[in-house]
Amino acid sequence: MNAPIIDPLQGDFPEVIEEYLEHGVMKCIAFNRRGTLLAAGCSDGNCIIWDFETRGIAKELRDKDCIAAITSVCWSKYGHRILVSAADKSLTLWDVVSGERLTRTTLQQTPLQARLNPGSSTPSLCLACPLSSAPMIVDLNTGSTTMLPVSIPDTGNGTVPQSRNKFSDGTPPFTPTAACFNKYGDLIYVGNSKGEILIIDHRTVQVQAMVPVSGSAVVKNIVFSRNGQYLLTNSNDRTIRIYENLLPFKDGLVALDDLDKTLNELDGVEKLKAVGSKCLTLFREFQDSITKMHWKAPCFSGDGEWVIGGSASKGEHKIYIWDRAGHLVKILEGPKEALIDLAWHPVHPIVVSVSLTGFVYIWAKDYTENWSAFAPDFKELEENEEYVEREDEFDLVPETEKVKESDVNEDDEVDILTLEKNSAFSDSDMSQEELCFLPAIPSPDVPERQDKCVESSSKLVDSNQSGSPLSEEAEPNGHTTNHASSPPEVVDNSAAEDAGGSRMKRKRKPSEKGLELQAEKVRKPKSSGRLSKVKNKSVVDQDNGNGFHGDDVSD
Amino acid sequence: MASGTPYKPYRHLKTLTAHTRAVSCVKFSNDGTLLASASLDKTVIVWSSQTLSLVHRLVGHSDGVSDLAWSSDSHYICSASDDRTLRIWDARAAATESAHVKTLRGHSDFVFCVNFSPQSNLIVSGSFDETIRIWEVKTGRCLHAIRAHTMPVTSVHFNRDGSLIVSASHDGTCKIWDSSTATLLKTLIDDKVPAVSFAKFSPNGKFILVATLNDTLKLWNYSTGKFLKIYAGHVNRVYCITSTFSVTNGKYIVSGSEDRCVYLWDLQQKTMVQKLEGHSDTVISVTCHPTENKIASAGLDGDRTVRIWAQDS
Repeated sequence: MNAPIIDPLQGDFPEVIEEYLEHGVMKCIAFNRRGTLLAAGCSDGNCIIWDFETRGIAKELRDKDCIAAITSVCWSKYGHRILVSAADKSLTLWDVVSGERLTRTTLQQTPLQARLNPGSSTPSLCLACPLSSAPMIVDLNTGSTTMLPVSIPDTGNGTVPQSRNKFSDGTPPFTPTAACFNKYGDLIYVGNSKGEILIIDHRTVQVQAMVPVSGSAVVKNIVFSRNGQYLLTNSNDRTIRIYENLLPFKDGLVALDDLDKTLNELDGVEKLKAVGSKCLTLFREFQDSITKMHWKAPCFSGDGEWVIGGSASKGEHKIYIWDRAGHLVKILEGPKEALIDLAWHPVHPIVVSVSLTGFVYIWAKDYTENWSAFAPDFKELEENEEYVEREDEFDLVPETEKVKESDVNEDDEVDILTLEKNSAFSDSDMSQEELCFLPAIPSPDVPERQDKCVESSSKLVDSNQSGSPLSEEAEPNGHTTNHASSPPEVVDNSAAEDAGGSRMKRKRKPSEKGLELQAEKVRKPKSSGRLSKVKNKSVVDQDNGNGFHGDDVSD
Repeated sequence: MASGTPYKPYRHLKTLTAHTRAVSCVKFSNDGTLLASASLDKTVIVWSSQTLSLVHRLVGHSDGVSDLAWSSDSHYICSASDDRTLRIWDARAAATESAHVKTLRGHSDFVFCVNFSPQSNLIVSGSFDETIRIWEVKTGRCLHAIRAHTMPVTSVHFNRDGSLIVSASHDGTCKIWDSSTATLLKTLIDDKVPAVSFAKFSPNGKFILVATLNDTLKLWNYSTGKFLKIYAGHVNRVYCITSTFSVTNGKYIVSGSEDRCVYLWDLQQKTMVQKLEGHSDTVISVTCHPTENKIASAGLDGDRTVRIWAQDS
C-alpha cells in the first residue's frame, strides 16, 4: 500500500466486529487476490460480489438454473472468473465483469469444495472435492472428470487406475477427503482418511510423494498460505498442523522428479515417504487442550504470519488466532451463532466470518488514533529518554551565528511520477491485467420528492453514547434493499448533522459503551422493526476509530 | 526535465465564453476527450477537448457550483454546489435532460470541493459546514461524515490507490485521513495562519502540493512531514485557487493567480518559466490535459471565460 504513514503494524490481527453484511443467507465467502472484492455464495443459488471498500453490493450473479445452496466460491487468479459449486451437484463458471455464465458442469456427487487452478489466469481445470468420493479434476470445458488417487496401494508404484469418464470406477467409498492446489497449480496436495498427505501431479495423476500426518486421523481441511510457503492441515484429532513447504515454488514438479531420481534405490511406499520428507516438514501443531475443540475452516493470514481457526461447536462463534510460532494470541467471540466459513483479508488485518444465520461479520482492528502524529514536528518516543544537553546548549549565541536548520536540500530532485511497488504482491508474472474493481455505476435517483425524505432506518446518533460524538457513521451496509434494481436511498443526514452541531467539540477516548456492546452479542436487525429502533451507529470519530456497529434499542 | 531542451512557451489557443457568471472550476476528463467547467451561474458545461465546442450545459443546481470532479472512466461528473448538494451527471448522456443521475444530500452548508476515488466507487466532498463526507457512488449513501476542521474545508483529494484523503481548510490545517475507516492519520500543517486554500496529491501519491493564502505553494513529503519545494511569485491571498502538475512535456507546477495570470514553475528548479496573460480577473482554476500539452484556465466574475493554452508542437 502506498501509504507509509498508516500504522506499520500491518501484520496485526483483528479484534472487534466492525460491520456485518446482510443479503439473503450467505454460506461461503472468498476474497479476490487483492481483497477489494468479496464473493459470497447464498443458499438460494446466487453469488453476490461485495465491493469491500464501500461494503456495498457490486454485482449479483444469478443463475435461473441453479436454486440449490452454494457450497463454495473460488476466484481465478486475477479475478476475472468465479467458480461456484452448488448442492445440486453443479459447477458453474462465471465471467465477473460481464456477469455471464460461461460453463456449467454437473457431477456425480455434490462438490463440497471447488478450486480453480491458480496457475492460469483463464483456468479450465478445477479441483472438486465431493462429499463421498475421491477428489477429482474437472475440465470445465469438456466436463470430463479425473479421479485422483487417495491412497497408496500396498503393491505397485503409486499409480491408481484412473477413469476418464464420468462414472465412478468402482473404487470403495471414502470419507471426505480434502485437497488443494499448490501456489502454481502444478501439484495437488490431498489429505486422506488415513492421515496422509499425498502430493499428486495432476497431469499424470500419479502420486509423487507421501507425508504421513502424526496421529493418522482423517484430514478434514488442507490449505496453503498465500505465498505458498506453508501448508496447514486440520485433522479429526482436533489438531491443526502447519508444515513448511520445502519445494521451490515455480518448479515444484521438476524438483519432485529430481528427488524421485535420486532416491531410486528405494521402492514403492518407502520411496514416496522419502520423497515426501523432502517436500514438507512439520512446523507446529495447534490444539485447544482444554476444550478439545474441533476446528472449522482454518486458514492463514495474508502474509502467513497468523493462523486462524473457527470453533466447530454449534451455538458459538469463536475464532482462535495463533501466531505461526504456535502461541494463541486472541480468541474472537461473536454472537451465539455457529460459524460456517472464515477468511482472512489478503492484505489488511481483517477477518471475515460467516455465521449459520447467513450474516457475514467483518472483524477489524480497534483503531485508536495516534495523537502524536497530529502535530507535524512531534516525534513519538517508545519510552522516556534521558536528555543530555550539548556543551553549548545554554550559551548565549548572537542571532547571526544561528543557522536556520533545514535538513532538507531544496535542490534535490523530487520524483512525482514513479510508483512504489506493493510489497505484498510479489508475483512478477502480471501478464494479464488484474480485475480489482467492478465499475460503480450510480443508480439513478427516483424522481425527487419535494421534502427530504427521512429514511425508514433513522440515522440519528445515539446520544446515550458516552461523550459527544464528533462524527457519525451512516447506516451500516446491512440493507436488504441494497439491490442493484431497487431505488436508491436519498440519504438525509442533515437532521442528525444539526443535532451533532450543537454538541461540544470535546474529544474523547474510545467509548466504553462501544466496548461493552462488543462483548455482548451483535443483535440481528429485525427487518420490520427498523422504524422503531434508533440505530446505534458507533461513531467513527475524529479522535477514535472504534468502528464497531451494533444495534441498540433506545427508549 | 532535460536541461538541453529549451522550454516551449504556451500560447493562447481559444477563449470559451458560455458562462454568465464567474467560472469556478475547469477540469479535463481523464481520457482527455472532454473538458468540464463549473460556474456560479448554477450550471456545468461540458466541452469537447478536440473541437472546443459546447456539448452539454448541465442545469439543475439551485445555486452556484464551486467544484467538479470526473470519474476515472470519464463517464461521470460530480459537481459541488452552494445549494448544499452534490450532483452526479452522466457526461455521455445523449440528451442534456437525461444527464442528471443522482443527487447527494447531507451537507448542511455550501459544498465547496469534491473528488472521485481512483476506483470511482467513492466520492469525497468538503463543505463550509466544516465536515468531509465520503459517499458511495452506486447508491449515493453517505458512508462517513467526518467533523474534520474548525473552518470551511477548501480542498479534498484521494491519493493514487484511494487509501488516503488529504483535506485543507481555512483553519490553517492540512490533514490526512484513512479513507476506509475515516480516521485522522496525520496533520501536515498546524499553524492558524495562513489558511490552506488547496491541497492535492502528486501523481504517484508520495507528495502533496499545498497552497496557502500567503502567495505560497509548497510541495510536501507527507511521510516525513517536511516540505521539499516552495513556489512563489504569484498572488494568492483571498481565493482558493487550484493548482496542478503538468507532466506531459517536462515537469511543471501550474497555478492560477489573483493578478489575472497563469503561472508555470519548473518543478525541480522552482523557477517561474512562464506567465500566461489574458484573463481579465483572478484565474481561479487550472487544469492540464492528460496527454497533450494543453492547459485550460478559468476566470472569475470580471472575466467569466475559460481559456485554452497550448504549446507549439
